[in-house]
Amino acid sequence: MNVKINKKMPITQVSLYAIIVICFVSSVLFVHNNSSFYKRTVAKVINTELQDKQQVTDMNNNKDQLFTQRITAEIKNGKDKGKFVQLTNEYSSSGVYDQEYVVGNELFISIDKRSEQKITGSIIDAKRDKYILLVGWVFIFTLLLVGKKRGFLSLISLVVNAALLSIALDVYVHQSYKSLVLICGILVILFTVISLLLLNGLNEMTYAAITATLLGIFLTLAVTYMAIKFTTGNGLRYEEMQFLTRPYELVFMAGLLIGSLGAVMDVAITISSSIFGLYEKNHDISLHALKKSGMDIGKDLMGALTNILFFVYAAGSIPSMILYLKNASSLNVTISMNLSLEIARAVAGGIGIILTIPIAVYTSIYFVHKKRKRI
Amino acid sequence: MNTLTLLSIILFVLMILIGGNRGVRSFISLFINFGILMLTVILMLDSDVNPMIITIVSCAVISCINLFFINDVNRKTGTAFLSTIVTIVILLLFIDFVSSVSMTQGFGEEQSDALAPFSLFVGVDFAKIGASVVIISTIGAITEVAISITSSMGETLKHHPAISRKELFLSGMRIGKDILGTDTNTLFFAFFGGYLALLIWFKDLHYTLGEIVNSRIFGSEMITIFCAGIGVALIIPITSWINAYFSMKAREKQQNVKQEDI
Repeated sequence: MNVKINKKMPITQVSLYAIIVICFVSSVLFVHNNSSFYKRTVAKVINTELQDKQQVTDMNNNKDQLFTQRITAEIKNGKDKGKFVQLTNEYSSSGVYDQEYVVGNELFISIDKRSEQKITGSIIDAKRDKYILLVGWVFIFTLLLVGKKRGFLSLISLVVNAALLSIALDVYVHQSYKSLVLICGILVILFTVISLLLLNGLNEMTYAAITATLLGIFLTLAVTYMAIKFTTGNGLRYEEMQFLTRPYELVFMAGLLIGSLGAVMDVAITISSSIFGLYEKNHDISLHALKKSGMDIGKDLMGALTNILFFVYAAGSIPSMILYLKNASSLNVTISMNLSLEIARAVAGGIGIILTIPIAVYTSIYFVHKKRKRI
Repeated sequence: MNTLTLLSIILFVLMILIGGNRGVRSFISLFINFGILMLTVILMLDSDVNPMIITIVSCAVISCINLFFINDVNRKTGTAFLSTIVTIVILLLFIDFVSSVSMTQGFGEEQSDALAPFSLFVGVDFAKIGASVVIISTIGAITEVAISITSSMGETLKHHPAISRKELFLSGMRIGKDILGTDTNTLFFAFFGGYLALLIWFKDLHYTLGEIVNSRIFGSEMITIFCAGIGVALIIPITSWINAYFSMKAREKQQNVKQEDI
């Protein structure tokens, strides 16, 4: 990006790029040297040696290979810093729940035995922060290079919304206030206002989109809630959320609400910006023409957006579906255990997308009408 | 009655009411996509076939459905299809590399209870499966961006028939920037919603920041979100370039035909 800096560029833009580059360099340096900030012992793999290799066949006739590797690693923090530690690692070629380590990997370890000659320990987990950070930076740079200012605003919106979500969940988990539905209701309003303002700025188009999004999302919530109550949640399998010690249904509904929000906003802002665009081009355009073009845009969007939601939700279940099927579960059981909640989310999101189409068309027309009267 | 059936009926009725014929097509495409996803999973059970190849093939089929069935077969959807495939291949190479170095495949220790009843040595390469998951979660968004850009560029070309290739490319980039914001938004919230249960659980366990950032599940979620964002951004220049190239080719051809007529 530095290459593009030239004299024509305003000073603010240059300094913005400079700040980004400084952030990049310092964060990469930090994650590569942050071992002393961890309480757990960190060790870097400096040598690996394959000790044993064997073929296994499980009860379902799946063939796999098991390996045992002996690892020498250098301890990077704590009082043993600089010393070497001997570790053993067992892994399979499928890597469902294990992992091969190579030279250069950093690991969290616990120290088992300490003697004059050598230290032995066991592996707790891999240290992944530097890789995640690098992918994060590739993401940031791609968005900035392609989207410029738009990309920057998307990043801001992502960071602000993620921070809000984290704070809201802290309030839910740690404070006495336990109503997840209310917390999510407030969150949804904040998410909508912040994202749409960042996407489109302060104007009537945005107000119309915010109104339409909120009406659309809460109507969707009502429809989905009634559908679930009416059928007493028959067919929804909450097993994949069994690790939670909280009411599954509520967490599921909250996730559904937040998950549909982006798509509903997408419909609302696309329709309102095109209706306002048509009005700006031709102030005498009839309400009927505006309505027709808004509905046409909605029709273009609805299939694509519902598919986006479906793939986002369903793809995440692929690994556990493979595990089920490889363990001789029937296709029926596999689908209902792994996909019922995902399909419900996608279908509810689809309902939200479609309900929002007429709502967005009418709210935008209402705002256009008001604007017209003022002039 | 089953909740999913009732919700699907509501969706179907609404799609017909609002979208008419296109609504029916959208609903059917959802079903076909579900079928393709299941078929993909079943094909992945065969440990002799590389999951990456299966992923590319099924992404090609999915984008055919999303582009040619919901819309029509024409030059617009054709270039959108080509751009989707190019983007998918680039993204897949990147993700394959990332997920193998970042060690985020498979399941984390947090999920060990759920894994207890299963044999884990199933002979399928879960690192490759992990890369496929990322691609498949983004495929819907990638095709959507591609078709939006090629349609709008088609409109631009119609209104300004003499536009230069560079200008046409830049018009595609401009449209792309407009949809980049809304599409990343759609993806991010969908991921937030999908991961909500896990996020609450991380908070319940009182994980420290260091533990969260380094855990396998959180890592794979972050990589999925980042790569999805990279995918919808990457498709913009790729589609704009490919579409500008083919539009100019088509225009030259037309002009040649006209000249021959004269």
